[in-house]
Amino acid sequence: MQATQIRPRRPRDWRGIVFQAVMLLPAIAFLAIFMYYPIEETFRLSLMRSTGLGDEVYVGFQNYARLFRDAEFRAGFVNVLLWAFWSVVIQIPYSFFVAYALCLYRNHFTRPLRAIFFLANVLPSAITAMLGQFVFAPRYGVIATLAQRFKWTWLQRIDFLGDPDLAFWSIFALATWAYTGFGIVYLMANIEQIPRDIEEAAKLDGANRWQYAWHVVLPMVAYPIRILAILSIVGSLKLFDLPYLMTRGGPGYATTTLGIILYQQGFVNWQYGRAAAIGVVIFLLSLVFTVALFSMQRREGELQ
Amino acid sequence: MVQGKWTRLVVVLVALVLVAAMATTAGAQSRVRLTVWGRDLPDDDPAHAYIREVVTTFQAKNPDIELEYIALGDPGIQDKVKVSMATNTDLPDIFQTWGGSTMGGYADAGRLLDLTEELESIPTSAAAKAAMSWKGKTYGVAPFFAIAGVYVNEGLFESLGLTVPTTLQEMEEVADKLLAAGYQPFALGARDKWPALATYMYLVNRYGGMEAFADAQARRARFDSEPFVQAALKYQEWVEKGYFGPTPLGEAYGDAQLLMATGIAGMHVTGSWMNAQYSDPGFTDQTLGFYPFPLLPGGKGKITDVMGQTDIGFAATWVAADKKDAVVRFMKHLMDPEVIAAEPGRISSVPGVVAPSRLTQMAADVFAQAEAVQFWWDQDLPPNITTPLNDTILKFFLPGADVRQALAEFEELAEEVMGPAAR
Amino acid sequence: MNLLKKVPEVVVTIVLIALALTVVLPMLIPMFFVFKTRLEFAYDPWGWPTTIRWDNFIGAWNAIRIDQGLINTLYVSLGAILCTVPPAAMAGYIFARYRSRVTEIIFYLVLAGYFVPALMVLIPLYRLSARMGLANTLPGLFLPMAAFGIPFWTIIYRSFFRGLPEELAEAARIDGAGHLDTFFRVMLPLAKPATFLAGLLVFIGAWSDYLLSLIMLSDQRLFTMQLRVAQFLNNYGVSNMPRYAAGVVISALPTIILYILGHRWILKGTLAGALKG
Repeated sequence: MQATQIRPRRPRDWRGIVFQAVMLLPAIAFLAIFMYYPIEETFRLSLMRSTGLGDEVYVGFQNYARLFRDAEFRAGFVNVLLWAFWSVVIQIPYSFFVAYALCLYRNHFTRPLRAIFFLANVLPSAITAMLGQFVFAPRYGVIATLAQRFKWTWLQRIDFLGDPDLAFWSIFALATWAYTGFGIVYLMANIEQIPRDIEEAAKLDGANRWQYAWHVVLPMVAYPIRILAILSIVGSLKLFDLPYLMTRGGPGYATTTLGIILYQQGFVNWQYGRAAAIGVVIFLLSLVFTVALFSMQRREGELQ
Repeated sequence: MVQGKWTRLVVVLVALVLVAAMATTAGAQSRVRLTVWGRDLPDDDPAHAYIREVVTTFQAKNPDIELEYIALGDPGIQDKVKVSMATNTDLPDIFQTWGGSTMGGYADAGRLLDLTEELESIPTSAAAKAAMSWKGKTYGVAPFFAIAGVYVNEGLFESLGLTVPTTLQEMEEVADKLLAAGYQPFALGARDKWPALATYMYLVNRYGGMEAFADAQARRARFDSEPFVQAALKYQEWVEKGYFGPTPLGEAYGDAQLLMATGIAGMHVTGSWMNAQYSDPGFTDQTLGFYPFPLLPGGKGKITDVMGQTDIGFAATWVAADKKDAVVRFMKHLMDPEVIAAEPGRISSVPGVVAPSRLTQMAADVFAQAEAVQFWWDQDLPPNITTPLNDTILKFFLPGADVRQALAEFEELAEEVMGPAAR
Repeated sequence: MNLLKKVPEVVVTIVLIALALTVVLPMLIPMFFVFKTRLEFAYDPWGWPTTIRWDNFIGAWNAIRIDQGLINTLYVSLGAILCTVPPAAMAGYIFARYRSRVTEIIFYLVLAGYFVPALMVLIPLYRLSARMGLANTLPGLFLPMAAFGIPFWTIIYRSFFRGLPEELAEAARIDGAGHLDTFFRVMLPLAKPATFLAGLLVFIGAWSDYLLSLIMLSDQRLFTMQLRVAQFLNNYGVSNMPRYAAGVVISALPTIILYILGHRWILKGTLAGALKG
């Protein structure tokens, strides 16, 4: 908003318009060629009954109606919303804390750590899931083995992946381990962008480091944090790999996600139309959350 | 200069890309090329011995055919076949399949090559042939057919003075004794969902006979009719008694294998595809045997009623229509007794081929005595309800689950797909 | 300097080290298995290996042969960078600096690509690629990959360019720089941290992509390293965990080497952020 206000209005800046068009062209071209047709197909197929093998019968909104009657879909829907909520509430503050601490104290120990926090992001999800299984599995897992060695029977009894109340959290912990690295590096890059004189000024004002973090740094990275929130919410809505590889969405529907149901409907159960309807639900929810988060920020901007 | 550096970097990147592009341009070809998508890598692992033999000897014996065998692993092969079938492009000539309703769906969509006449002369078991056929036409061969049964740790049984159960009651007694002695009666692996099906299929059969499932499938009966409910209640009772260990839902199929391999579990109800591993001294130092699932005296099921499915099968697609000869030669090669002899564990569908290990012999005997073979339910029911089927069975494992309710919900889904059932 | 003042730094450093350990330690899990036989693993997965055996590595190497997929992977990864980062940087800049009703709508059109789950797109995308003659080619892999990546990186670039002070662009404009010059000479160099991050992550993403490669490639000669790894991982499980773990180590090696080389970039990108007060 600020940007448009400062710049004087130039009503016929043809050069500017051409420049904008040229700059946007490559991105738009890639999406137009490779994405819009699949997106359009997703919307179209969501109104069809189809096995995905070429047979298509128009059924109107039946696929959607059917989805919302389905207990598994409702469970998956609630799960991804919870997942999105907790990833914003837990993973983003954690990322901010680590990123800020790494930027704040630069000593012999913390400098090499910067790169380490990102390490888990590099692993393909099949390997992440394998590691996770060896942490949480009963009897053969790290936790179970330690519990056995130290005779902690209460811990030995806990079934991290088989207990419907716990499986979600076990996979969430694994995802936090695997995915927060990006948030940390991204926030670190943004915190480093804050001009040093602001830090100096804050110091002169007598602010301690945590006051500085709260009153100066946090507001300055509010926008990147909002971006992270959008990315994690949309990522949660599309979540598939880790819960599928770890528990196949079970036990019961405890860890099922919209992505898992989409995969099962489209690739296993041959209900391609229903899978497309789930795709549309994910798409629309993503759009709603993104618009909401961006417009929330706009309102705040106006208040200032 | 920053800019100079950037320009140089981009130039180097572009050059690399161009060089690599030229390096990967495919060359011309003259021989008939046969593309085969399979699951197993043709490497030195004992479990891959058969496919290794297939690939190496076929190429040696058929120099005029260029065989391209691509191993995609388990979810890989199914997903990739699904997408190429859906788009009908880049189909392989031959692909590995478990037959049944999934292959039938591809056949219905016109994606497969009818080989009924060409494969007529290849000797094979009736069950294997039926699994690779759909609506009267044969689309491929299944060199190996798996049946479900009970793996028993014979060494452990002997040391505890137990005998292999022949009735469900004996099985429960054995399980109680194993439990009392600190062992897990059954290995299962329900976290992967599908492993829980085998036990349930047999329980339903022992209560209601072959007709229980057949009737429900033909919609002459409901999936929540008596045999299904009785079997579910029995299954649930076993779970509650701890027959599947304290953490049945936390263990994956791989964990279940380890429990058997190290003598922690006494029995494992699963498919005979485990023969190779369970008789491999590098995998387990226990002495395991393979037995038919016990009988329920007074129930309708017979000891000769057996659950089975394609273990390894291959079918051809329409793109191979103009090289039928090469396809048929490959299919015959798959069923060649000499090639099949390389397999250490699976049950061959070619009559007269002797099983190489004791365990395989035991499984083959069970199969030979079978009077009726029911295909694994998830291969036999329409694909639309296979995931819900497994999920329904998993519900029996949740504490305090209402199995009647779970089965009624499954029946509702079945009605939607297969039509209403007679009460 | 008061020693007391150092206390928070020490505490925070210790916490950070502890957290870093939780990141690293689970990655060592496969090392417990790789030197064992299958039986040793079955009986005592977490014990120390009795002897150091390399058979598992040899078996895994022969099954994967990642060296054969390396060139393909390199080509795909570089192609993905070239097709993802520049379009995203350019679009992100416009969305951050030339905000109007029109660009805002276009922004959502670009974002839309991020809202569809990849699994849903696969079948139509494959159909489309086949029609364009791209199925079963390497560009047929990295071009759609770029289409998947552009929305994400456009958001990141947008946030980055927004974070840069407006005065810099103003100053350039007053100096008589046109739109193009302002972007290339002033703004893009300032966004170096984002560019480093994007380059590295797109590379790693392409490097470790599985699903798209599985669907798009059918010719074994075109198989990428990751597809070879996936072939292997899909074939081995607990039934041969020592070999599986050795395969995991082998497949992780190129990534880790790359990471060690690339982490200097990340550090440079985040440390030497162009703005110093």
